[in-house]
Amino acid sequence: MDDLLEQPTTLSIPDSGAERADDANLSSGDEDEGLDWTKLPSSSRPVIPKRGDKDFEPTVHGGSGLQRHVLDRARNAMFEALRAERNTSSKSISHGIWYPNLARTHVTTARGIHFTSMGHSFARASPVSPNGPQQKAVKRLELLPEEAIYLVERGSMFCWKAMDGVDFDDAAGLEDMEGAPMTVQQVFTEMVGTEDLTLEKYHVFSYLKRLGYVVMRTKPPSSAYLTAEPYSPPLGPRSSLVSRLCSSFIALLHRVFGIFKRTSNSWLPSIFHNGFTYPGVFASLRFLPSGHKTPLHIVQLKPEEQSPSPYELFYNVYKPATPFKKTAPPKPDFQITVVNARTTPIPTISELTELFDVLPELPPPVPRRRIPYADQKRQAQEREKAKSASAPGSQPTAPSTAAPSASASASAPASTPSTSANPTLFRRLFSWAWTAPESKPQERKPNPFAVLKQGKKMVVIAAVDSGMISFFSFRQGGFEEFPMA
Amino acid sequence: MVGRQGGHNKGGGRKNENNKIYAHPLPILFSEPPQTSLSHKLNAFLGINDTKVLNPHCHGVLDVATRSVWVTDPKDVRILWTRGFFGKGDLSRSEPSWHARQVNAMKAAAGNYLTSEEIREKRRNERKQFKLDRARALAEAAAEAEAAFVEGREAVLPEIPSGATWKPSAQSAAPEPGDDAPPSADADEVELLEEELLEDVEHMQLTLQEAFFLCWGLDCLTILDPHTSQSLSLQQIWVSLQQAFGIIPSLKPVYTISPEEERFDNPFLVNYAVYHHYRSLGWVVKSGIKFCVDLLLYKRGPVFHHAEFGVLVIPVYEDPADKLSSPYALANADPMSWTWLSTINRVNSQVQKTLVLAYVTIPSSSHVPHHTLSSPACLNHYSVREVVLRRFIPARMRD
Repeated sequence: MDDLLEQPTTLSIPDSGAERADDANLSSGDEDEGLDWTKLPSSSRPVIPKRGDKDFEPTVHGGSGLQRHVLDRARNAMFEALRAERNTSSKSISHGIWYPNLARTHVTTARGIHFTSMGHSFARASPVSPNGPQQKAVKRLELLPEEAIYLVERGSMFCWKAMDGVDFDDAAGLEDMEGAPMTVQQVFTEMVGTEDLTLEKYHVFSYLKRLGYVVMRTKPPSSAYLTAEPYSPPLGPRSSLVSRLCSSFIALLHRVFGIFKRTSNSWLPSIFHNGFTYPGVFASLRFLPSGHKTPLHIVQLKPEEQSPSPYELFYNVYKPATPFKKTAPPKPDFQITVVNARTTPIPTISELTELFDVLPELPPPVPRRRIPYADQKRQAQEREKAKSASAPGSQPTAPSTAAPSASASASAPASTPSTSANPTLFRRLFSWAWTAPESKPQERKPNPFAVLKQGKKMVVIAAVDSGMISFFSFRQGGFEEFPMA
Repeated sequence: MVGRQGGHNKGGGRKNENNKIYAHPLPILFSEPPQTSLSHKLNAFLGINDTKVLNPHCHGVLDVATRSVWVTDPKDVRILWTRGFFGKGDLSRSEPSWHARQVNAMKAAAGNYLTSEEIREKRRNERKQFKLDRARALAEAAAEAEAAFVEGREAVLPEIPSGATWKPSAQSAAPEPGDDAPPSADADEVELLEEELLEDVEHMQLTLQEAFFLCWGLDCLTILDPHTSQSLSLQQIWVSLQQAFGIIPSLKPVYTISPEEERFDNPFLVNYAVYHHYRSLGWVVKSGIKFCVDLLLYKRGPVFHHAEFGVLVIPVYEDPADKLSSPYALANADPMSWTWLSTINRVNSQVQKTLVLAYVTIPSSSHVPHHTLSSPACLNHYSVREVVLRRFIPARMRD
């Protein structure tokens, strides 16, 4: 952090993206910076300047001329940005009607790319009109409350409130209206609180949407809302009568032989029955039940006394790069629970176990591919050759590349098995006995630290404290599967 | 007591040396008889494994007031530290090195073998010097920029030292660790005498969990009563260690335990279950008080690499009624707040450790009979499971 102190200058040089050496998961630099709207193309839009770095310490005599000048300039830039008016062109704005009794917004005109990832179609029968028979159910695009608030706040949608009994087509001059126009404040007030939406959940939803993720609900609020298939845990071992008898018999045998093996009582654990080696000693000391597979026997309160757990999966989140289809959502990249940080304590192990039970297992982390040194040198030389190939006189590089390529080709045949060409008759007859030598490349065992840190299952819990969101990932740990000795 | 060498012979030499010194993960040693001897061949033919187990039979004295077991014999201290990193010197940072530091302080030729405390002091002094240099350079730069602004010209700024490239200047700036008396011939003689007379007043202390692991799990430590110097039986040790965490503090070991205090949620039992779990998996487990956690897990030991994991012990009562009737107020047993968790996670992220929550389930006294508490067999009824906690930053996880 010391190397990033900015030198005081007379000109304001924008922060040239100094690389931070922090671990990607640990620093919060990106989050704490203000929004960077400098990327907007048109100059008429307001531009929020990037924040500069602070000085190391205040000067002894108080504010100097330079400091005041820089401060004034930064402040003015911020005020200018805030003063500007945000507007949307009428050709790109969508329109929707909010129905409070249904807690949905019906989108009448959909414009823009937002609706590829938001909204669902619902077949709703239009209300019985006094004139004719009941009309057929018509499919229409509807938005959940949080989606509607997000679009209105963003400025991409204009929301009307449904007014029954008023027919706008008749009134003169009011043909464009579809209901009572709603302000943004009214949208917030009316929609927060409906359909399980709290302000904290909305904060998380809008934050993730702004970052580019696709956010859907885990529990469909109605049958028309298409969600990904909920994870079904793999069935336990077959509990047929035969297998149960077998397992109990085997357990009996273990106990009988255990008596003969361990003549010790609990006062003298026999630590050498796995052999006279350090791994053996450690293995025989491992008698404590451990891991998430051992059942949790916590006495539960009576159902009526027990308040429902606040920890329930709420959002399925998909990364921006995942191909997403509204009609068939794939498996979510991660799943989120949202709680209020001030009123809810951290989850107990029973709540965490309930969450883990409905989550799929993560694949083991991919081990880093290690390129052997000879290949690294060759790649570096090839890159240099490509750079200097444009310039004439690439003679000196040619012999140097010839040498490593010769060595590479020399090592290549050695690695491939010599019997790949012309297998003998014997081998062909008994090919089932030989496994294919070049079946798959040497698979590296994953780094145990990486596996332990990634865990087997992950749930993300967003703790919202008056608008400040902290995301924590709670992962199911499996230390008992990776002993260090 | 060899401390780490500072400066020369870094890298490969020191690593190899450490590998040789700290080669054994436990105090007990295995000796294979020579492969060519006749008796070995006979035993191998009969299928008998005749590897001998060498037990160091260390001794320690129980001290209830400090809740530790004191080991004073230098040979035992060295064995317990180098084979498994058990214990801590009570006047030192980790390995008992007080005597070496005093000797270094007396000798003018300090700097050949620096103990870890001396390395730490040197590092702190250098950092203080760097900060002073940097502050001075920044003040100069600010003054220069100010003058340039007033005059309306471009500023020519001095270089500000960065942490990566700053080198300590002449040694006069940084004070030597501890010594400022100039050497002379007479002083040498006097120092030699003093060194021989200097008694090592430091002892090594084992936590009660470490002591019980060595004494019961590996059977290589004998614990003596502080007043009678009698070696204690396992039964007495079992009771007195639990009683050490009892409600009524006492300065002497007590060998009976009252029924109110003999419970499954005794703090000693709860912490020992977690300690034993990680030790049996091969981790070196040390105290984590420096980083707001309960335990630190090292893969091979503190001298090799920093700890990767910080473990918080969270006890979970299987029967909530046990908690209500308990005289012990176990730490972290109540549901904790998010600010507490955020604080600890922030501290550990700063030092690149991963936070692990270890949930220990305490057996319900209505399901498990009370008499199991009279022996370590009750440990079979506890269970430990981990949850790894990390901060999740959506802005970085987009790809």
